[in-house]
Amino acid sequence: MENTVVKIENLVKRYGELVALDHFSLEIKEGEIFGLLGPNGSGKTTTINCLLSLLSFDKGNIEIFGKKMTPVSYDIKKDIGIIMQNVVVSDELTVRENIDYFCGLYIKDKDERRKCVDDAIKFVGLEDFVKFYPKKLSGGLLRRLNIACGIAHKPKLIILDEPTVAVDPQSRNRILEGIQELNRNGATIIYTSHYMEEVEQICTRIAIMDKGRKIAEGTKDELKRMIKNTETITIEALGLEDGVVAEMRSLPHVYEVRYDGKLLIILCSGGKHNLIRALDVLQKRELGFGRVYTELPTLNEVFLEITGKALRDKEE
Amino acid sequence: MFLHILMYEIKSSLRVKDLVFWLMLFPIILGTLFKIAFGDLYEKEVTTDAIPTAIVVTAENEVFRSVVESVSDSDEPLLKPEYLSEEAALKKLKNGDVKGIIYAGDKLSLTVSGEGAEQSVLKLFVEEYTIREKIITDTVKTDPAKAQAVIAALSEKLETSEEKPLTKGNTDFYIQYFQNLIAMVAVHGSMTGLHVSMSQQANLSELGARKSCSAAPKSVSVLASLAGTWIVQSVCMIITVSFIAFVLRVDYGDSLPLVYAAAIAGGILGVSFGFFVGSIGKMKQGAKVGLCMTVSMVMCFLSGLMLGNMKMIMIEKAPWFNNINPAALVADSISSLNLYSSYDVYITKLVTMLVISVIFYVLGLLMIRRRKHASL
Repeated sequence: MENTVVKIENLVKRYGELVALDHFSLEIKEGEIFGLLGPNGSGKTTTINCLLSLLSFDKGNIEIFGKKMTPVSYDIKKDIGIIMQNVVVSDELTVRENIDYFCGLYIKDKDERRKCVDDAIKFVGLEDFVKFYPKKLSGGLLRRLNIACGIAHKPKLIILDEPTVAVDPQSRNRILEGIQELNRNGATIIYTSHYMEEVEQICTRIAIMDKGRKIAEGTKDELKRMIKNTETITIEALGLEDGVVAEMRSLPHVYEVRYDGKLLIILCSGGKHNLIRALDVLQKRELGFGRVYTELPTLNEVFLEITGKALRDKEE
Repeated sequence: MFLHILMYEIKSSLRVKDLVFWLMLFPIILGTLFKIAFGDLYEKEVTTDAIPTAIVVTAENEVFRSVVESVSDSDEPLLKPEYLSEEAALKKLKNGDVKGIIYAGDKLSLTVSGEGAEQSVLKLFVEEYTIREKIITDTVKTDPAKAQAVIAALSEKLETSEEKPLTKGNTDFYIQYFQNLIAMVAVHGSMTGLHVSMSQQANLSELGARKSCSAAPKSVSVLASLAGTWIVQSVCMIITVSFIAFVLRVDYGDSLPLVYAAAIAGGILGVSFGFFVGSIGKMKQGAKVGLCMTVSMVMCFLSGLMLGNMKMIMIEKAPWFNNINPAALVADSISSLNLYSSYDVYITKLVTMLVISVIFYVLGLLMIRRRKHASL
């Protein structure tokens, strides 16, 4: 049986009248890349801050590695790596010094630390920048430095709080690949983001948050099965008669059909071979059609259906 | 872990340009300006004769007359007084035979011929006499029983220049500016102490949040960071004193090592004070910086670093505050070396500085350790 690394039970956190976390519970197993997905202000960072004992909370219980987490749980903290939302490094120290400084807060032995620092520099690809000061680094390189500072001591649990905000696509891909590599090397990962593509790409299990509550949890396939629409079929076809559209509506698992004279959109809920059955209808009547494509639902659609609003903020 | 944090604290502190400027370059620049501004006065004080001064008596004042006698009859007389009518005095002032006219009556007033070192000394003499006289008359009015004791104490202070100074200290008036400069650098250390405190608290800085997540115990992290800052501050104090003593050639006599010790203790006190302020309550970063700067300025002001008479006023009104005010402690510990014939006052001030430093550190640590925040 897999060990539980993080256990959050019934967590309540209030800021005055505002309920930031509303009876929030979570259990993360060893070896998972667990995604905390939700829009800005949904409570992701508050959850992380409570988890790290930075924030007090009104109710609930938090255990990490089977032990109660407190501000002085240094034996637990030594196995946790934290990569914060904003880059937290010292402007007065070089890249190598920064990584060594943070690594030294966990590892006392100099030789061991030197090796860890070398590994971290190599891992994030900052070999050519070790003597640079942070002010001389680009945004992407700074993010990589931030990650190196958080993982140099080879923690068993790594918490990444929106590590790809304001990062270019190239650096973002490198960061995501790095997270997967850390996981392959044995680390359990907690990854918070409001970028659904990233979470879909790397997370083995996902919890969707909104207004401080967990509104869904599971693998991405499990989450997608929770909603009515499981498949959207789009067919380019001109001048279809009403009878054809009506026949499409009568097919098994089809719950909605839209046609604007050019595009036929068929929304299905569950079932198999939905596309084949739709194309059979057209072929039987010897009707021509253009491009055909089928889409599975995204996490954004999952979020939209559960909460009635889009996952991303308008400005994004 | 302690040494690791200590080393990086020193390294990063020495690379902060603001810190290097305010704690290393600024005292050097200001000290040089003091030397340029007052050096001439100093030279004149030690080399010129007594200042020719006309005294016009508007009402008989026995006390003033005896004070004038005491400062004109000593081995190194300050004044060369001539008691004249107003008309004769003005004529001599116009001809340049005297540097100023003191009108002596119920109150003193001064007329000088222009601006210069001798005129400045006359002005200071009149101001000092006026303050001391007021202290005595106020005491007689409010508490006649204590009048004799106050007169005795103030007379003793007037006679300090005649007292044999400790070893070969420097009793020149102008050295006060450099003592004040040293005290100011020490109090400036409060900003670095404040920075240490804020960089340990998750609700005040992201670095504080990051450190709070680490495996370094808060007490170790705080002590190592403070120790690093104490060391850097001590280096700044040593540079300041060395510059004043060896480059500006301000003579501290053979008490220079003790000046270094007082300056270092003052620096440690300044840092600890800033750390304490940074640890108080739930105020945000800007509010704490503002509070620290304001309190530091008030301490400097009340210790007479900005207004010469303030020290006398505080001695009269709130002597207890002078004994705990960091700025006053630093300046007084150094000046005590030149004023008293024993080390008692110096040691008392030094020990007070160190004890208050420890109190500030312990209180600060108690306030920030094991702290979870309601909001970040």
